[in-house]
Amino acid sequence: MLLRFAAQHDRAGRDRASQAFRKGRVALTAARPRASRGAMTRTRPPLLDGLMASLPIAMGYFPIAFSFGVAATQAGFTGLEAFALSLLIYAGASQFLAVALLSSGAPVLVSAFTLIAMNLRHVLYGPALMRAAGTGAGKRHAWAWAWGLTDEVFGQALGALARGQRFSEGYMFGLGIGAYASWLAGTAVGAVAGGGALEGWPALSAGLGFMLPALFLALLLSILSRRQVPVVAVAGLVTVAATLAISATSGILLGMLAGALAGLVRR
Amino acid sequence: MNLDLLTVALLAGAATWAFRALPILARTDRMAAGGWLERFLSATGPAAIATLFVAAILPALTPDLLRLLPVVTGTLAVLALWVARRSVVLATLGGAVAHGCTVWLLG
Repeated sequence: MLLRFAAQHDRAGRDRASQAFRKGRVALTAARPRASRGAMTRTRPPLLDGLMASLPIAMGYFPIAFSFGVAATQAGFTGLEAFALSLLIYAGASQFLAVALLSSGAPVLVSAFTLIAMNLRHVLYGPALMRAAGTGAGKRHAWAWAWGLTDEVFGQALGALARGQRFSEGYMFGLGIGAYASWLAGTAVGAVAGGGALEGWPALSAGLGFMLPALFLALLLSILSRRQVPVVAVAGLVTVAATLAISATSGILLGMLAGALAGLVRR
Repeated sequence: MNLDLLTVALLAGAATWAFRALPILARTDRMAAGGWLERFLSATGPAAIATLFVAAILPALTPDLLRLLPVVTGTLAVLALWVARRSVVLATLGGAVAHGCTVWLLG
């Protein structure tokens, strides 16, 4: 019931956000500020409105963060260290990879570079969002609310703008705080439950273990466009080849690089 | 606290914040677009996510049908829910539930 409500609440916005993201170049270059838009909220403070809008994101984040907390403690990290990764990095896929890299003894700089490369896509979110927000959009507190500009928050915010709502930094704070709090809470609960918590629950353990590939596949579907199919194909093939020929870490690095370079080819 | 972990977390966190905040503070959306850097950055997101999906699913691929079946049902559930609802959250949770249920049914 709650999931259905969440899906109805965010579906329209996600559709528009996905479309806007797929047309990233258009969003960055061709969008125009609207002459008049309704406020993001008329009946509630923008912060509260943003918190309400973060509900579907928070519901999705909690179990993923929980599985991260469990995975980190299973890999030998303490609960505090798992929580620190969520607090300081706050990027789901990167955190799972951080655990894999650090627990396998990968060098610090190689690990950091890999995680940084993985999050490079976030460079595009801010410009796309501000272009949609219009020239008069405030950015005074962007140094703070931008910390919470994850894939989901970006999608939700862009969806709100696409529905004709006016940009508000308070709304962005609310959206970000709700999602961040859920992520931290999920990590803490998962870390406290610990690596041995799921030993008696193999099906639940397997389901949580599949959360990461499921998230990546869903994210891939959400941003996939015909223009990016060659990029995805090259990245996937190079990842498989390099993983089999060299190592899993090399496969990730080389796959990303090859895919990004494939994007340079004009079509 | 593991010093290596703290170093990696601080470096990655600082870079992630910079990627998210600096383009907004600099209003790079107002700058001229269409160059090679924009094409490279545009391709980086899909390339990164495709790479991560392949890297995450690769260890689960096995000729053993009983171990492969949960992966297949989980993947199909993600695809079906995405087509039906266009929600990343629902597709992710649905895929995990389908995977877990298949493991449970197979005993």
